Amino acid sequence: MPSTRPLSLSRLFSPPKSSGPPPCSCDAPARPARQSALKQRLSAFNWRGLVLPLAAFALLWLVSALHLVKNGLLVSPVDVARTAVQQIQSGALLRALSASLAREASGFVIGTAGGLLLGAALGFSRIATRVIGPTFDTFKQISLFAWIPLISVWFGPGDMAKVVFLSLAALLPVAAHTCDGIHAVSPRYVEVARAFRYSRLQMARFVILPAALPSIFTGIYLALIYSWLATLGAEYLLVAGSGIGNTLIDGSEQFRMDLMLFGIIVVGITGWALNALARGVERRVLARRSGASRERAAA
Amino acid sequence: MSKAIDQWPAITKRATLDREQASPASEQVQRRVRAIVWHLAPWLLPAALFTLWSIGCARGWIAPQILPPPQQVFDTLYELAISGDLARNTLVSLQRVLVGFGVGTLAGFFIGAALGLSRTVEAYVLPAFNALVQIPVLGWLPFLLLLVGVGEPLKYILIAHAALVPVTLSTMQGVRNTPAALDEVARVFGYSRLQRVVYVVLPAAVPTLATGVRLAFTKAWLALVVVELVASSEGLGYLIVYGRQLFQLDLVMASVVIVGAIGFAINRALDALEARLRRGQPSAFRE
Amino acid sequence: MDNRFRRTFTLAKSVLLATALAFTVPQAHADKPAVIRIGVAQQGAGDPPTFGGSPAATVQQLQLLEKEFAADGIKVEWLFFKGAGPAVNEAIADKSLDFAFQGDLPSVLGRANGLKTRILLESGVRVGVKIAVPPDSNVQSVKDLKGRRVSIFRGTNLQLVADNVLAANQLDERDLRVINLDSASSLAALSSKGIDASVNDYHLYKLRDQGLAKIIYESQTDGPQFTRQSHLLVLDDFDRAHPDIVQRVVNQFVKGAQWSSDEANRDALFKLWAKSGVTYASWQAEFANQPLKSRNSPLVDPFIVARYKAVANDALKLKLIRQPVEIDGWFETRYLDNALRTQSLEHYWTRYDAQGKPLG
Repeated sequence: MPSTRPLSLSRLFSPPKSSGPPPCSCDAPARPARQSALKQRLSAFNWRGLVLPLAAFALLWLVSALHLVKNGLLVSPVDVARTAVQQIQSGALLRALSASLAREASGFVIGTAGGLLLGAALGFSRIATRVIGPTFDTFKQISLFAWIPLISVWFGPGDMAKVVFLSLAALLPVAAHTCDGIHAVSPRYVEVARAFRYSRLQMARFVILPAALPSIFTGIYLALIYSWLATLGAEYLLVAGSGIGNTLIDGSEQFRMDLMLFGIIVVGITGWALNALARGVERRVLARRSGASRERAAA
Repeated sequence: MSKAIDQWPAITKRATLDREQASPASEQVQRRVRAIVWHLAPWLLPAALFTLWSIGCARGWIAPQILPPPQQVFDTLYELAISGDLARNTLVSLQRVLVGFGVGTLAGFFIGAALGLSRTVEAYVLPAFNALVQIPVLGWLPFLLLLVGVGEPLKYILIAHAALVPVTLSTMQGVRNTPAALDEVARVFGYSRLQRVVYVVLPAAVPTLATGVRLAFTKAWLALVVVELVASSEGLGYLIVYGRQLFQLDLVMASVVIVGAIGFAINRALDALEARLRRGQPSAFRE
Repeated sequence: MDNRFRRTFTLAKSVLLATALAFTVPQAHADKPAVIRIGVAQQGAGDPPTFGGSPAATVQQLQLLEKEFAADGIKVEWLFFKGAGPAVNEAIADKSLDFAFQGDLPSVLGRANGLKTRILLESGVRVGVKIAVPPDSNVQSVKDLKGRRVSIFRGTNLQLVADNVLAANQLDERDLRVINLDSASSLAALSSKGIDASVNDYHLYKLRDQGLAKIIYESQTDGPQFTRQSHLLVLDDFDRAHPDIVQRVVNQFVKGAQWSSDEANRDALFKLWAKSGVTYASWQAEFANQPLKSRNSPLVDPFIVARYKAVANDALKLKLIRQPVEIDGWFETRYLDNALRTQSLEHYWTRYDAQGKPLG
């Protein structure tokens, strides 16, 4: 007899139990023909993921509302929200964020361009790899922020120093991954191209670069992350201008925990947005080569 | 496995006639000279830069406040070493990074394993973790400055956080991506869940884990330098700040050299460690 | 193919060379600069940023320079540096400034490292430092600071006075754990009890008034070596190129100094400086028991020269600089003398001798 247990929420959300053979389709209860799209999306959404954040939120609110901690440092989420509104309305957020992003964009673009050139040079030329490679490798190991005082003296107090630093932050991963990607191209492709008598340029354009593209994208992705990190660091360590890092520092110096939490949330959201952007572009570009990648996976 | 790059010259050179048939003796000499040049090639660029630096300072092309002459940097390094300042500050920095890195890696390992092995844990924890990960280490710095002050806890927490994130993500990925073939073998042998984790999942995750650990160390070293630049009373970053405040650029450069050297050495060590670990991997399951 | 590459390469090379040359050809020497850049070795507060505590601040707040040069169409840019004196040194080395308002020690450090500047006049002298601790701390005196975490803003004129204070208490920087924090960060760290003590300036009064700090020592009355001075300097290049502009700037600074030294303006002065975020009460506390004339005198008298020489000597002893620095010939007082003469202020301020006693 077919079981006619009504659909329960817990059954929808809980993972299927892995005991016993799967139920026969004739045993399954007749589902309503249409389930609204919203309901479907809701049921697919991972509600359990919200448990921890909501709990933290509630705890923070409770502690601050009851004034359990006699510290100016604990602020309620309401304060943070209020500060958020105030910052957005006064345009301060826009100013700070646009300044930071503008700097990061210019540094990222310059660094990526330079990194692609350098990586390509290192990748294609054996001589360049031998001569420049080891120095570049060593250079890469020097922790990025150790350069800041030197860059600050060499390039002065203006925005130039920040852009140079950001370009450096972006250049290193891009060059490294481009070079690695080109080196790691499967020799099989090269042999095929050779059999077809591809010229140097054709080889580079149709074989080597497409094959190295995933690695290049990893490099660009890392460059985005590192240049965002470097933007914040530059705002702490180089002469202040305006920027979201400065908002954080101001919050720290003025004891405004609400301003700081707001700044942290903004930084997090921006980081996530940049990541999503990079992943979207990567997916779009690599999807065009889905044929080639499927081949690779099968090989 | 020969790299494509090694075939590059052969591919791109037009079919040329053989070079003039030199006599065997001079050909050998030619080959030997080429071999020597090849071996020395990596030193060409550093030597050129160094020469440029020395000449530039000697001729006064650049003001000495902007770029101190190499001799001064060496002297400063020597003085630092002699006075014991170098050893003291290096030890402090190393201690901070090793402790922070160790704690972060261990914690990341456990959290990543939990996230990878248990779908429940993943469902509850991963979204929150992902959200926190979006905030770079430096974003936490002012927050922690206010919360824990400028003592050692600040440094340990930041460095541990910097190391924890990559290790967690890579552990989770490594644990999740156990090759299906290994899983099947484990099931055939009737391994219990614990046995499966210890003998199959973890060893198979080692390559991904190793990559994560490498990245974690780079990030931890980065975090160390930053936090020492911002608020510290000793360490290599402190030396850099001291030099910067007193406008002694040679001290800054000497400290940067040391920071670079240590980062380089530890990276090399981790490289070797990773190679050793990978050697144990059966090639059939290597990615 | 090789030919094509070679030709493109040569073309690129010539384009690059041309561009580079275009930038390195020095600009036609202008009679008047388009903008006068003054660096301030303080973190400006407020929006637009401003500062207080010295005649230079008065000049900036009253817009004396802007008004003076408005007719000539010369803009005046006040650049604030969170990194204080050391950051100003970096900007001077980079030639991003024409004038700078800086303290004695950072300028000595800059001069020791070859920066070519000239000191025109003083702007804020006989200033002390204050050492503060959290309100519930058990540190009662400077001697108790041994082994504690103390924030000192390195390279600023706070450092040398702090070192002298320590030496007077048989202590050394090595006996403490010194953290380099800039002004605002050290205030924040002190309030959050992140550090045990902070060597700072008049900003501490606000914290004290809020109950967030306890001031255990103030140095200005303990003797000349416990005071620090600040001055206005000009870069040699600008001085050589535009001596007339320098004279006019000095004139305005002397005017500002005179206004700031007039006891009748005391109230207005503190209110003016309070716009920088440091409260009226703080200024009152800072200048308590000190006549405005003595603090805001622009004179380069034997006391000042002796102080700067002492700073240079102490810096050498403490290994802050590696070679001795020549102080004679650093001061360029003719602009100041001209300004005093034209404004009839030659006897307005007292000149002090090397020991700090009034001359004649």
